[in-house]
Amino acid sequence: MKTRNRLALASLTASTALAVAFLVPTTASAHGTLSDPASRVYTCKQEGPENPKSEACKAAVAAGGTQAFYDWNEVSLLDAGGRHREIIPDGKLCSAGRDKYRGLDLQRADWPAKRISAGSLTVTYHASAPHSNSNFEFYLTRQGWSPTQPLRWSDLVHLQTFNNQNPTTFTNWTLNIPQRTGRHIIYSIWQRVVGSAEAFYTCSDVDFGGGVTPPPTTTSNPTPTTTTTPPPVGGTWAAGTTYQTGNRVTYNGLGYECVQAHTAIAGWEPPNTPALWKRV
Amino acid sequence: MRIFLLLLAFVVSGCTPDTTLRGDPLDVMFLQMMIPHHEQGVAMVALAEDRASSADLRMLAAAIESTQATEIGTMKSWLTSWGEPLTAPPDSHAGHGDMRRTNPSEISRLQGLRGFEFDQRLLNVLIAHQDDAVQMARWQSGSGAHQEVKSLAERIERSRVAQIELMKRFLDQV
Repeated sequence: MKTRNRLALASLTASTALAVAFLVPTTASAHGTLSDPASRVYTCKQEGPENPKSEACKAAVAAGGTQAFYDWNEVSLLDAGGRHREIIPDGKLCSAGRDKYRGLDLQRADWPAKRISAGSLTVTYHASAPHSNSNFEFYLTRQGWSPTQPLRWSDLVHLQTFNNQNPTTFTNWTLNIPQRTGRHIIYSIWQRVVGSAEAFYTCSDVDFGGGVTPPPTTTSNPTPTTTTTPPPVGGTWAAGTTYQTGNRVTYNGLGYECVQAHTAIAGWEPPNTPALWKRV
Repeated sequence: MRIFLLLLAFVVSGCTPDTTLRGDPLDVMFLQMMIPHHEQGVAMVALAEDRASSADLRMLAAAIESTQATEIGTMKSWLTSWGEPLTAPPDSHAGHGDMRRTNPSEISRLQGLRGFEFDQRLLNVLIAHQDDAVQMARWQSGSGAHQEVKSLAERIERSRVAQIELMKRFLDQV
């Protein structure tokens, strides 16, 4: 019924583009990140995605590629709608749980950090596409947290929230920063309120001084587990199996023949992929 | 209210509501954004055949190329059947440059690479590219109107998530 109303309304509007602009929640018209203290993505973007200078940005690019840093203003989830703690797993807060941004989750003590101290701190949000009516939440890691540990939701201490904000390209807020020692993270969530459920997430490294310099981070590369799937002899279609052209399977009681070699994955079930399977 | 609106729609268009109601604006926007995104993906994976050193990566890239080409055909046929343009009008949100897409210069960067370096770069770029597709698909399947479009979005979400897992495994082996 809701859909019909929307459609009926749309058909009344002279211009579909206009209708889209007003009736449809847009996917991605707001974009941005914290520029001061600079978020990790902003820092590496400023250093240059292809030739980053700091060891941390070099490692982040090595771990996850450069694209994340070209898209520095999109560390976001389109369907967040306030469910941040539900949909972003512990340890992946800086990437918002997105594989594209996995380099931002690296647990290192050498992320470029702004030197700050307790008291008032002005922070700046750089919105390349600002959007009205948004809520901005700010957090600081708890005393005792270390950047060589995963960042978990329970590590965050709420500082302040600014509701119903209308950000411009550069928006400042003043935070009251409590006492800490050593390295910490200022975490922010920009939740859009009107027209979209999209939310943006930022991790900015800060240093209060007085911390112990931890030993250099040693990254252990887990030995890749090579799973070789035995070639199928007929049988039921199964994700993870590599099929060659001419292999036959059954799926939901129907027979299919592989027309292009591939490793089967969820979403590529035979009835959905005429490019890979034909009915026999 | 609903009856009033449907009646108005009927009067304005002069046909029955079911044939009047063409593309849902949200479905249309999703398809108009997804088609160029898919095309960009196809252009990138097509480079693997001559350049990738890993046979597994070449096989995956070829399968992505043909499955996405089929999806492009399906998406275009829906827009055409609704009488909607295949590309978003330049003044719409989707035409604003807001759309998630891979840096266009990436294609030329990839073209210049071979072997191990190509594999690593393509895998990283493609993980990011398909991660964007997952975002758009999740958004559509939560808000779209046509069941067939939602089903496609759900399949896009599942297959891209699985592709990313596969590609992260390949990266570990590069």
